[in-house]
Amino acid sequence: MCLAVPGKVLELEGSMGRVDFGGIQRELCMDLLPEIELGSWVLAHAGFAIQILDEEEAQKTLALFREWADFEAENSLGPTPLDGVEPSGGGDGSPA
Amino acid sequence: MAPLLDERARADALVARIQAAVTRPMALMEVCGTHTMAIGHHGLRSRMPAGLRLVSGPGCPVCVTPAEDVDRAIAMAKEPGVIVATFGDMIKVPGTRGSLAKARSEGAQVQVVYSPLDALRLAQDKPDHTVVFVGIGFETTTPTIAATMLRARAAGVENFCVLPAFKVVPQAMEALVLSPQTDIDGFICPGHVTALIGVAPYLPLAEKYGVPCVVTGFEALDILEGVAMLVEQIAAGEARVENQYKRAVPYEGNPKAMAIVDQVLQPCDAMWRGVGVIPGTGLEPRPEFASMDARTRVPVEIPPPADLPKGCSCGAVMLGLLLPSECPLFGKACTPASAVGPCMVSSEGACAAYYKYGGA
Repeated sequence: MCLAVPGKVLELEGSMGRVDFGGIQRELCMDLLPEIELGSWVLAHAGFAIQILDEEEAQKTLALFREWADFEAENSLGPTPLDGVEPSGGGDGSPA
Repeated sequence: MAPLLDERARADALVARIQAAVTRPMALMEVCGTHTMAIGHHGLRSRMPAGLRLVSGPGCPVCVTPAEDVDRAIAMAKEPGVIVATFGDMIKVPGTRGSLAKARSEGAQVQVVYSPLDALRLAQDKPDHTVVFVGIGFETTTPTIAATMLRARAAGVENFCVLPAFKVVPQAMEALVLSPQTDIDGFICPGHVTALIGVAPYLPLAEKYGVPCVVTGFEALDILEGVAMLVEQIAAGEARVENQYKRAVPYEGNPKAMAIVDQVLQPCDAMWRGVGVIPGTGLEPRPEFASMDARTRVPVEIPPPADLPKGCSCGAVMLGLLLPSECPLFGKACTPASAVGPCMVSSEGACAAYYKYGGA
């Protein structure tokens, strides 16, 4: 229900905007982000843009993930991190 | 998109961090249905060490909407000249007797909309009808409805009103922490709720009650990183609020959106289905917006509500006390095709996630 989808603002007219979601364009209401600028990335939910996405932070998150992977690769010559990990067994929830 | 092997290496590195920090039993709760689905979808439970439990909380607004509100929406839809507009998630949720979908099949006027703005347009297109929008949602959704109410007011649309069934999340998390039944070592905080309310509302959970909180995104790597940050805090005996999802969540959230909510709505007590009344966790129209409160605009009589169907364990599931698979009805009398309880009806309910993905 709280799913929100990232898209890029292509056009702005008054408080409405045309936003591109990976090739599909939709009209979004900008009442909750009145300072939005053309070309910004936004999170969309229920027909509204609800937050601006920070491209720099997005890059940083990805870069951090990469660093850890590199660190692990350099420091783990033996078993992979998954070896010996017991599954937690979150219940036998498989459908009957 | 990064190559698969690269993604896998990153996931392995995060799992190793989690593994290293979980040196005693720990339980983390996610309070967002989108996290519940993502954890199941990516099979993340199967990658957790034996000592770490991921439990689902009351994270789905559809599931926690009490039978009374569903009953009221159904009764309103049966009134002549009234159209009930709702997000699609709500349509199959059982009330005390039947659902909005069943009422529609019997001739009641129920329309599914994607946005509250669609409901407002419907009201403008049908001036001889009263359009009731079912106002369910957490803080991600509430601002969109409050903004729509402001638009209705500005445009002088008088046949649009809202059935208030809003819920706020941080205060409910506080109630969970204070409940003697629950035992939670850390919260995976809902990313998109926090994109609106900001990080500060979780500070009391960490500072007053000593429960670590990490605002977390929805990709598999986001969730693994959020879990790693939480278990590392727990292992170090710390309790802080951290933000893993900075690309979408500035510290202050979206203050303009929250100001719109505050302009239109005021706090009230709220009934959480299967859980009970939690003081101060609801929102209802302020007196200046009373004319948009569907409860007074479309008065209806409803039978005394039965909160949950007989035998349904959704309450215990939403408190993290019971795994969905531990409910006697799960997978037998209660399946997505023929659901008994709200957590199986909702696509983001804990029971639906367990049914679809197993406990993995």
